[in-house]
Amino acid sequence: MPKTILEVMDLKKHFTDRKGLFHSLGERHPSIPAVDGVSFYIKENETVGLVGESGCGKTTVGRTILRLEKPTSGKILFDGKDITSIPTDELRRLRGQMQMIFQDLDAALNPKMRIRDILSEAITVHHKIDGAEAGKRISDLLEQVSLKKSKLSNFPHELSGGEKRRVGVARVLSVGAKFIVADEPTSALDVSIQAQIVNLLRDLQKRLGLSYLFISHDLPVVELISHKVAVMYLGKIVEIGLSDRIASRAMHPYTHILWSSLVEKQNKENPQKAKSVQADRWGVFDFERPVSGCRFAPRCPVYESSGRPAICIDPSTEPQLEDIGGSHQVACHFPL
Amino acid sequence: MTAVPILKIEDLRTYFHSRSKQAFIRSVDGVSLEVMKGQTLGVVGESGSGKSVTALSVLGLVSAGPGVISGKIGLRSDRIQKDLLEGLGEFVKLTTKDGKIMEVSKDVAGWRRGAERIMSKVRGKEIAMTFQNPGSSLNPFTPVGKQITEAIRLHTSTKTEREAKERALSWLHRVKIDSPRLRFDHYPYGLSGGMCQRIMIAMALASEPSLLITDEPTTGLDATIQSKIVDLLEELKSELGITTMLISHDISIISQLSDSVAVMYGGTVFEYGPTKEVLSKRGNSKHPYTSALLASIPSAQNIREKRYLQAIEGDVLDTINIPTGCRFYSRCSRMTERIRERCVGHEPDLRETGSRHKVRCWLYFD
Ligand SMILES: Nc1ncnc2c1ncn2[C@@H]1O[C@H](COP(=O)(O)OP(=O)(O)O)[C@@H](O)[C@H]1O
Ligand SMILES: Nc1ncnc2c1ncn2[C@@H]1O[C@H](COP(=O)(O)OP(=O)(O)O)[C@@H](O)[C@H]1O
Ligand code: SF4
Ligand code: SF4
Ligand SMILES: [Mg+2]
Ligand SMILES: [Mg+2]
Repeated sequence: MPKTILEVMDLKKHFTDRKGLFHSLGERHPSIPAVDGVSFYIKENETVGLVGESGCGKTTVGRTILRLEKPTSGKILFDGKDITSIPTDELRRLRGQMQMIFQDLDAALNPKMRIRDILSEAITVHHKIDGAEAGKRISDLLEQVSLKKSKLSNFPHELSGGEKRRVGVARVLSVGAKFIVADEPTSALDVSIQAQIVNLLRDLQKRLGLSYLFISHDLPVVELISHKVAVMYLGKIVEIGLSDRIASRAMHPYTHILWSSLVEKQNKENPQKAKSVQADRWGVFDFERPVSGCRFAPRCPVYESSGRPAICIDPSTEPQLEDIGGSHQVACHFPL
Repeated sequence: MTAVPILKIEDLRTYFHSRSKQAFIRSVDGVSLEVMKGQTLGVVGESGSGKSVTALSVLGLVSAGPGVISGKIGLRSDRIQKDLLEGLGEFVKLTTKDGKIMEVSKDVAGWRRGAERIMSKVRGKEIAMTFQNPGSSLNPFTPVGKQITEAIRLHTSTKTEREAKERALSWLHRVKIDSPRLRFDHYPYGLSGGMCQRIMIAMALASEPSLLITDEPTTGLDATIQSKIVDLLEELKSELGITTMLISHDISIISQLSDSVAVMYGGTVFEYGPTKEVLSKRGNSKHPYTSALLASIPSAQNIREKRYLQAIEGDVLDTINIPTGCRFYSRCSRMTERIRERCVGHEPDLRETGSRHKVRCWLYFD
């Protein structure tokens, strides 16, 4: 039985909106419940995919887990240890074990430093090793991420998108991280390069026993790379399960709509079912609207077609994730 | 009825100066394309392959130098039959070496004057365009309804304010903006990305153009919103028979919406033909790049079997250092010993391999 490397319990992260509308009125700043009670776990050597529309809180989940943001409430266990509120000096040690690959290709690459220096800095910050040893470690890393040695003397802006991504991966590996939050690692890359990076990440997982939280809006890639997939909506996970079940036997109306919006699939598979749960009014959600009951109700076709059942919008019965067998959980009163 | 081209681009070249590298960026380097009346031409390719610059060249909207330097852009609508670059050649002098353009001297002011004389009757009126970034076509300081109304009065025979306003409203309705009367007075600021795309499409179509160019209409939008935009474009096409040049890096959208497709790479067209043939994984005589691109996208099968993706090794082409031979040479996995010399030394032409199907690859020519 593989051990659980990360466990998150009822995690919340609320931001105060500094530029909020109500600011000038002297009222309390409205808070944005970017992450609003999220629970899941990741086992060693496992990839959990996290999907959902932009703004639903995926990045904030990743950043809060790594303690790049201070959690509002809830609990984060890493390798069995509660890290929810550990002090800064312990955080530094933690950074040697858990790391983030940022969506922005340039985020972790100091534009004024050569690639060699970026990598050797990352190595020596976390491990007390000397120059020769660091050099050896850098060669190993280059090989692991298939980057040409000649690129070491380049500055970040002289690299292509794919090469920058490889350096980003090498930097994360250089500190010896075992758990990696990969935030949209392929979205800034060209189609032909995306596949290279997806393969690289899978390969590294196999060779080094890594665990990933893989955040992406590219559903086929998520389905391919993840063992489990969690679907997020407005700060909450509405469904989680094995990736093939999420993709082909979704129980939550939102999950179903997400996957059936894949153009290719919509044509082939089950057009009848897809139509019946297809939303007509498909606006953008906003955090300003107070939630009462199920957050998805204002856009939910099942709610609409079942005559707007009161239970869906009753504030005292917000649907919670419930086990439906086969490691599958869904938060909906009327699962498909 | 045989299809007639409304737009026919021939051997278009649009270059830019790279100051830091002291060289040309050959963004569009000999592109030929046709958009048939009533049909959708898809232009697909990775970022930097020259899709947007091709479209901007057609509309005379390339601002940096030297910009468009040669080619023909034939427009044949009901109202205008003309080469949009007619007579502009005299403002450019090209110095070539081994068939490659090494030097360009362009009388920019003269070119611009000549181009504007032609384009003022074409832009917005005959050819309308939507942009990936709404900021390029929506004015942030004018309510969206008013912008559409103005486009209608400027470009169509509807001239009275009241009538134009009615039409604008019906276009907002047509592109499925919810509460169009309310949105009419909204400023672009604060509208979602999907809404902005709809409004740009409404504005472009409101001037009743002969050709609509739409550049990455779904890029950057959430999947759910994307599929709604695709539905809209499909509906507009089948109901209004609009002639469209659809630009996108997203193969699935191109394959759903286009009749024929051009696959671009490094400023040229690699493959061109009916969408069904070009973008089907099992099609014949395909360009190695197209096949590899299709194979690198996760398919139902390799997802099910959790297989590795077939990546295309190497990196996207840097259009500053165009190789002498085939632009795909360094990444091609299908080159054989028999043709290696040609692949390295000579760029293949875009040649017919089947009915209306063209490929730029030595594999198919002996
Ligand atoms: N530092 C911050 N301050 C205020 N609001 C934030 C901050 N970071 C994120 N948010 C808000 O939290 C919500 C979730 O954001 P994010 O986690 O980035 O979503 P996703 O990654 O799913 O697109 C958004 O509404 C976003 O505007
Ligand atoms: N105004 C400009 N000045 C210099 N280079 C440009 C300019 N516009 C585009 N380019 C370059 O031309 C190439 C093709 O760009 P573009 O047509 O926008 O590609 P895409 O296929 O992604 O739409 C790119 O390398 C881009 O950097
Ligand atoms: S609980 Fe009701 S509103 Fe929410 S997703 Fe289920 S059916 Fe739709
Ligand atoms: S011309 Fe040669 S190198 Fe180019 S795509 Fe064809 S086989 Fe490959
Ligand atoms: Mg994000
Ligand atoms: Mg573009």
